[in-house]
This record gives sequence, structure tokens and C-alpha cells, in this order.
Amino acid sequence: MDCTLRESYDVVVVGAGFGGTAAAHHTARHGLSTLVIERAENIGEKIISGLTIPIYGFLFGPGFIRDGTPPIERPVDGIINYIVTDIDREEIVIDDTLRFPKPFAPIFSFGYNAYCADFCQWQADEAVRVGAEVVTKTVVSDLIIEGGSVRGVVLEDGRNIAAKIVINAEGSQGLLSVKAGIRKKYPPRVISLADTYDYTMKKGDVDRIFGHSIRFLWAWDEQNMAPPLGYGNGLMVWPYGESLHFMQDQCLAMDDGTVQNLKKRFETYHKNVVEKLPWWRDDVEAKAELRAHTWQCFEIFVGLDDELRAMPLSTGGMLLVGDAGGLESTELCDGVPAAWFSAEIAGRVAREAIEAGDVSEDFLSRYDREIRNHPIIAWSITAPHRYLLRNAQQDHDLGSLRKYVHAGWGFGALAHTVSPLFRVFLSAIRQDPRVLTSWVRMFFRNYRHWHHSYSDDVSSCGDEVIRPGDRSVGEYIFIFLMWWSDLVLTVFWPVLWTMSYLFVPFAFLMKAIAGFMVWLYEPLYVRLLGRLDTSAVGMTEALIRFTVKARAATFGAKKRREP
Amino acid sequence: MRTTDTFPGVRWVGEPELFIRIDPKKCTGCGGCLKVCLAGCFEIVEKTARVRSLEWCMECSACWYVCPQDAVEFSWPKGGSGFHTRFG
Repeated sequence: MDCTLRESYDVVVVGAGFGGTAAAHHTARHGLSTLVIERAENIGEKIISGLTIPIYGFLFGPGFIRDGTPPIERPVDGIINYIVTDIDREEIVIDDTLRFPKPFAPIFSFGYNAYCADFCQWQADEAVRVGAEVVTKTVVSDLIIEGGSVRGVVLEDGRNIAAKIVINAEGSQGLLSVKAGIRKKYPPRVISLADTYDYTMKKGDVDRIFGHSIRFLWAWDEQNMAPPLGYGNGLMVWPYGESLHFMQDQCLAMDDGTVQNLKKRFETYHKNVVEKLPWWRDDVEAKAELRAHTWQCFEIFVGLDDELRAMPLSTGGMLLVGDAGGLESTELCDGVPAAWFSAEIAGRVAREAIEAGDVSEDFLSRYDREIRNHPIIAWSITAPHRYLLRNAQQDHDLGSLRKYVHAGWGFGALAHTVSPLFRVFLSAIRQDPRVLTSWVRMFFRNYRHWHHSYSDDVSSCGDEVIRPGDRSVGEYIFIFLMWWSDLVLTVFWPVLWTMSYLFVPFAFLMKAIAGFMVWLYEPLYVRLLGRLDTSAVGMTEALIRFTVKARAATFGAKKRREP
Repeated sequence: MRTTDTFPGVRWVGEPELFIRIDPKKCTGCGGCLKVCLAGCFEIVEKTARVRSLEWCMECSACWYVCPQDAVEFSWPKGGSGFHTRFG
């Protein structure tokens, strides 16, 4: 435990995960004295499941992540869903409609896979770089509460650290939230246990078998291949850099309160997948070597319960971020974007409260309102597809099951994500017209870093010193296009700003329009995918070659990435 | 430091103190904590659950969530101790 800690800070952040470090980065960057307290010895090593971070987190989340070079493991270009109806006869239905087309995939991706420890350490380093202090191996055991408001934290050795605002990013358990009286312990039917196996596998084998796609597995209960749908998320396999991440998750209790024998269930599922699922049995089993087995609880249906959703996210002197506020994404089984969005909002609200000299419950309740009005958070924690999956499964209704898998993790997902995504897109444009070119640079930069980290045929790793004149003609054209685009966007920003407001009603309508028209454009898209996948091979390779060989600074890399 | 073949990729640091406790007055012996614990931390003795060993506990808190009587008292192990992994 660090003895150099001061007695008081403007902001104390509990937990150095995805949300805590992002909130700390915001407050420290704006000049507030910020302390992050982490219970683990090393950042991120108590986090067990980060998995795929959807691209909307990078696009609309904290700027330092979008503009930085975080340690991603592998870009994700789509999801392949396997629905097992009879494993003994190998009757498996496949839905792989949700894929990004070549020649852009995998450079432009749906998201990135990441190991939590590396990613959170990178975020913590960035927070420290802008002035935050991070202390590890320290447990916050209690809160200082005066007059109903949180005034600081109590460390396990009894020391008090005063804070104007405590940002609580302690994770799902929310022990401090419960102590502060903000919310109650969640019931076991909304909590899922993620049982995770991590395998090493040669990159060539990962590329050949999985490419850049995630694989999901859904099955009838009696198949014993995956946990009951809706009460978990079946089975998921994520290809990482040179490894596979295999996760099965299951709610602790069913609707009737029956507690599951998880050890027995998970062992059965894992054994059956390894021995019966054709692509695992034939392609993966001999090439994968088990490296780690871990598990962790996380909230999964909190947003679907009226009472739980109504629980406050703040009180006087304290804000709840990410999992601590029950903001895990029910729809996409990934809470990292929600943690990032809520962290940014929490950081800003904390700053406004401190500047106004008012950290009261009333002032901080604006945080609750902003979170509940955030288009993506509101959509992601309340979308009901997992719940509907369970109903379809209980009825053994394959048609409905395919429909809801398709709507949640197939092409149909685009229909109901388009409105919230368009709304935050308009908001982002309003704030900074150059964000468009930042996104383009981000895609190229992240892909380049990933490739340099894991490719066998590229010995260089990192962002070399820039030497003018070494760039190719293509790089100069790219830089010119970005510069020209930024200029045009900046000049026309007042027009963009005005139009963004005019488009707001249209954003609300897009869900309905896209949902109605999906039957028309999905077949066209799927046909296009088939054509592009074969005809765009040359273009894809050229794009990858350009991306990998270009100077890092061409894509806006600002600092050297640590090896 | 302790390691195990059963849960590879994880190391346990420090002595396993009792950061999880069961209040015998509240416990009804339903066995929910045994069912959800993947590390075998609990046992039933005389119709009451009790902590057998937290040696392989992954601090998932499933026992705390699942107890209908709130008999499980859950806190975090002292700073830096408990399980460590880099593959989450």
C-alpha cells in the first residue's frame, strides 16, 4: 500500500478497469487532482471477461482511446452463429449474415478483441500521463458518509481519503454502492457466471479456422452443448492474436428461483463441445492448448427489470460507472462501451459539480438523466432479444429462434441499432467535424498495430521515427485526402451543425424504416458479400499491404507503443 | 504463491484469509452456494453451509449473490492477494 497518498483529492476513482481509468483520464486531463484505487497487484488482473469491444465504443467513446494505440488482439469482421438442433446427426443451422465486406474487412471492423489486463493497463498509463495517480494493492473497505453524502473512502488499513466526488467503478458486485444505500444487491436471476477457457493456438491456424469472425453457438437444452438460451448466452469463441477465448455463461438462478449446478453444467457443455461439435472436434482440438481457466460474475438482465433499471446511479458525492451501475449490455453481452460512455459522462458531471461547488444528490442526478438518455446505453441495456430467445427455445420453435438470433447477432441487428448509432453520430459531428477523419485514421492505425504485433512476416514492431521522404506516393495521397477532408468539414461545419439537428427526427424513424426494409436490402447485401469476397481479394491485399507498410504517423499515431 | 493444474493460468498470492464468511444463524443449508461455486469452496456440515477453503476462490461472488438468506458475507481479500491472471 502506498504511504505517499495525500489526505484529500478532488476525485477518487474506485477500480482501475475500463470505466474507472477512462473517468480518471477525463478528470485528470481537466486539472482535477485524481486518485485511482485498484485492489489488484497489477492493473486488470482481477478482470476476467472483456472479450469483443464493439466498434461503437471506439467511435463514440473517450477520445484518448480513439486517437491512441491501444493493445487490441484481433479485429473482428463479423459473427457466425451456429444453431445446433441435433448434434448427434450434426444438424446445425448457420447464420453468418453479419459480416463486414471485403475489401474493407478486416481493416474496417465491427470491433476488436482484447485481453482486459493489457488494455486496462494501457488506459491507466494514459490516465497517469495526464496527471492521475494510480495506487494498486489497496482495497477500499468503506465510505466516508456525512449528512447523507459521500465525502471520501476508507482504505483497508483504516486511512481516510477525502474526496469531493467518488466515482465508483468497482464492478458488478457493487459492494460500496450497497453500503452507500444507492442500490440493492441484484437477485441471482439477473447475474450470469462467465466460465472462460483460454487456449493458445498458432496464428496461422487461428487465421485459417476462424479468420476474423467470432463464433456463437446456440442449442436446445437437451443437446447439452450450451447453457439455456436467454439465461446466458450459449457458447462463444473469440479468436485473439495467437489464441482462442472460449466462454460459456449461465445465470445463477432461473425465473422460478432454481439455482443451477454450474460446475456440473459447465463441465458437460465443455466436454460435448470439444468432443461433438464438428469444427472444434476436427479442426481445433488437436491444435489448441489450454492456457487458463477463469470465471467471473456479471450482471446480464438488469436493464430488463423495471425495478432494477430504476435504481439510481448517483447520490450526493458519488457516481456509479459501468458494471457498478448495472450498465452491462444485455443485448451485446459486452459492457465495455457502456463503461466508457458512462465514464466520460461521470467525469464531465464530476467536473461541473466541483466547478459549481455543488456535489449534492440533486446536482449529480443530472448524471442519471444523461445516462438514461444516452441512445446507445439505453438501447443496449433494454433490448429484449436474449429474453425472447428463451421463449423460442422453450417452445422448440426453430423459426422464432432463428429470427431472434438474426435480430440480435445477425444482419437484423442493424435494423434496431441504426437509430441509436445515428443519434450519437449526429452528436459527434456537432462536437467536432474532424471526428470523421479521426475514425478513418483509427481503423488504419489499429489494424497496422495489430498486424505488426502478431504477423510472422513483419519484424518491425512499434512506431518508428518518422523520416520525411520515406513515405510512399499512396501515403502522401492519404495524408492529403485527410487534410483536405478536415478543411472542408471545418469550413462547412456550421452547415453540418445545422443539418445534424434537422436529421434528429429522421434518426428516430430510421429504426422503423430499416426494420421494414430489411427483407429488401439483406438479400442484396448477402449477395454483394459473396461477390466481393471472391472478386475483391486483390484489392484487399493491396489495402492491407498499404496499411502495414505505411509509416505509423501517416495514420496519426502520436506516441510509441510499448512492446 | 500457489498454482494448480485444475485452474491453469491462474496464480494465487498470499494466505487465503476468510474474506467470505457464512453466518450460521442465517444459513438454512439450501446448498445454493455449493451449486454455483466452481472452486469447491463450501461444504454442508450438520445442515449448515460453511467455508471449507478459499484456496482456489476466484472472487466471483456467486455465493454472495445466490444466498436467499443473505447469510454469505462477502468482501475482497487484502490488497493484491487472492487470484491473479493475465488471460481474461
